[in-house]
Amino acid sequence: MGNLLFTALFTAKLGWSFRLLMSREGVIVMESIIEVNDLEKRYKKKQALNKISFQVRQGEIFGFLGPSGSGKTTTVKILTSQLLYTSGRVKVLGIDPARSRPSEFLGKIGVLTDNSGTYERLSVYDNLALFCRLYGVPKRRIETVLDAVNLIGDKHTLVGRLSKGMKQRVTLARTILHEPDILFLDEPTSALDPVNSERIQKTLREMNRRGTTIFLTTHNMQEAEMLCDRVAFLNNGEISALDTPQALRLRYGDHSITVTTPLGKQIVQQDEVGAGFIRDLIRRGELLAIHSNEPTLGDIFVKLTGRGLE
Amino acid sequence: MTFSIRRFRAMVKKEWKDAIRNPQILLNAGMPILLALLFKQKEVDPSDLTFLSVPILVAISITGAFVQANMIAEEKEKNTLRSLMLSPASKLEVLAGKSATTTLFALIVIASCLAISGVPDVNLFFLTVLAILLLLIFMALGTVIGLIARTASESSIVGLPLLLLFIFGPIFVPSLGMPALMNIIHVLPSQQFVVAITELLQDGGLSEIGGNLLNLIMWTVLSGALCLLVYGKKRFDK
Repeated sequence: MGNLLFTALFTAKLGWSFRLLMSREGVIVMESIIEVNDLEKRYKKKQALNKISFQVRQGEIFGFLGPSGSGKTTTVKILTSQLLYTSGRVKVLGIDPARSRPSEFLGKIGVLTDNSGTYERLSVYDNLALFCRLYGVPKRRIETVLDAVNLIGDKHTLVGRLSKGMKQRVTLARTILHEPDILFLDEPTSALDPVNSERIQKTLREMNRRGTTIFLTTHNMQEAEMLCDRVAFLNNGEISALDTPQALRLRYGDHSITVTTPLGKQIVQQDEVGAGFIRDLIRRGELLAIHSNEPTLGDIFVKLTGRGLE
Repeated sequence: MTFSIRRFRAMVKKEWKDAIRNPQILLNAGMPILLALLFKQKEVDPSDLTFLSVPILVAISITGAFVQANMIAEEKEKNTLRSLMLSPASKLEVLAGKSATTTLFALIVIASCLAISGVPDVNLFFLTVLAILLLLIFMALGTVIGLIARTASESSIVGLPLLLLFIFGPIFVPSLGMPALMNIIHVLPSQQFVVAITELLQDGGLSEIGGNLLNLIMWTVLSGALCLLVYGKKRFDK
């Protein structure tokens, strides 16, 4: 009863319509931080989004996967108050981004798009110092975020002299400067080398552990598999699948197993015949290796939509 | 609409640091000073009082409109305006920060032009009021140009009609003997500014320049409203 009352008061105070749940540890967990229902966006001649619905839970990394032109960027622009939608209902942090008071709402989100710009005649430090002042964040945060994106040694370099990948790291540093509640990341590692990609992914995971919800759009399946708690496949403005990567692999896999014997590799099905065959191999000491044949997210996307992600 | 002094100061600091390293802005600011030097070489006809107001008109219009337009168009070109619009900075804070920097530039340029051409012997209070109104109008028009132009260099092209009509109109059209064009020029704030300064040079007061002041105030309100309308529309993509 007490919990229910507290929950109701908390909900009323925030003015949010989300259901709040008590976890086993007694910590309040917000069920949805982004709610999208029947979202439709029509441009003059093109239907960009066709009544899509999804929820993003607080504290999760949500992957929005699809090829170019599938509607990913349109969705991010709507969720971040850059674009008005045609119909449907959208709530981000409990408010409609199209009707919100921007400074309040925008102070709680961080947005990294593929064309986020930087001031090229200013140093890396001056670029970040500007946004520290705009967000009301102490300047000591600059050191922390520069360390996270591996740019501490280039603090005083003019941004115009940096490579494309380094500029992308500056914009990422700027995006996480104010430790937003939700991070919207559009291809955050697309211009980075493997070492820096890994470092950025580590930073994102750390931020997520500290409570930041991440909405990641990408066509990099490997990155999505490594980072995302749940993924949605977007194709031609429609969501064709939404679940955890593991659940999708199990649902769309063919449940076969590859066994390696002295004669080579062989695919067997997970049924009575396959089980008997494997038991025989073990009895004869001929089973050298065994692997389940789970499809990648890329394979599943092709299976569902008939097209690749590039 | 919110307004935070902290964010406004942050914008001014950034704009100033960026602008003093921007060759195109320095060129725009330097042009009126160059024109003032050229005008100084010209023998001024004592009966043509219009020319005494020209250095101030050129300084305010070129600096006000083109420095402002360049700063905004470059933000769009480099996709930094989107980053600002996705931060808590309100459109008023962003615009005020840019306008304050443009004003600083304009003050430096006007002071330099006056140092070269000499200060007209007029009531300084009225001169200041007229100059402030004219600067506000050109900054608002510069903001609109900056928002319409896709790149910093395109802002110079988009602004060219403004330059020809608003700046050179009051200087050259009176001598062309084209009454229809003169009727258009007459309602422009730049022409009203020139007329008002001419009145002040002939010992005129508030009663003589009242109509010009009213015109400038109306232009200030209308151009300000236009600028906020266009800027507001740019918050959302199409």
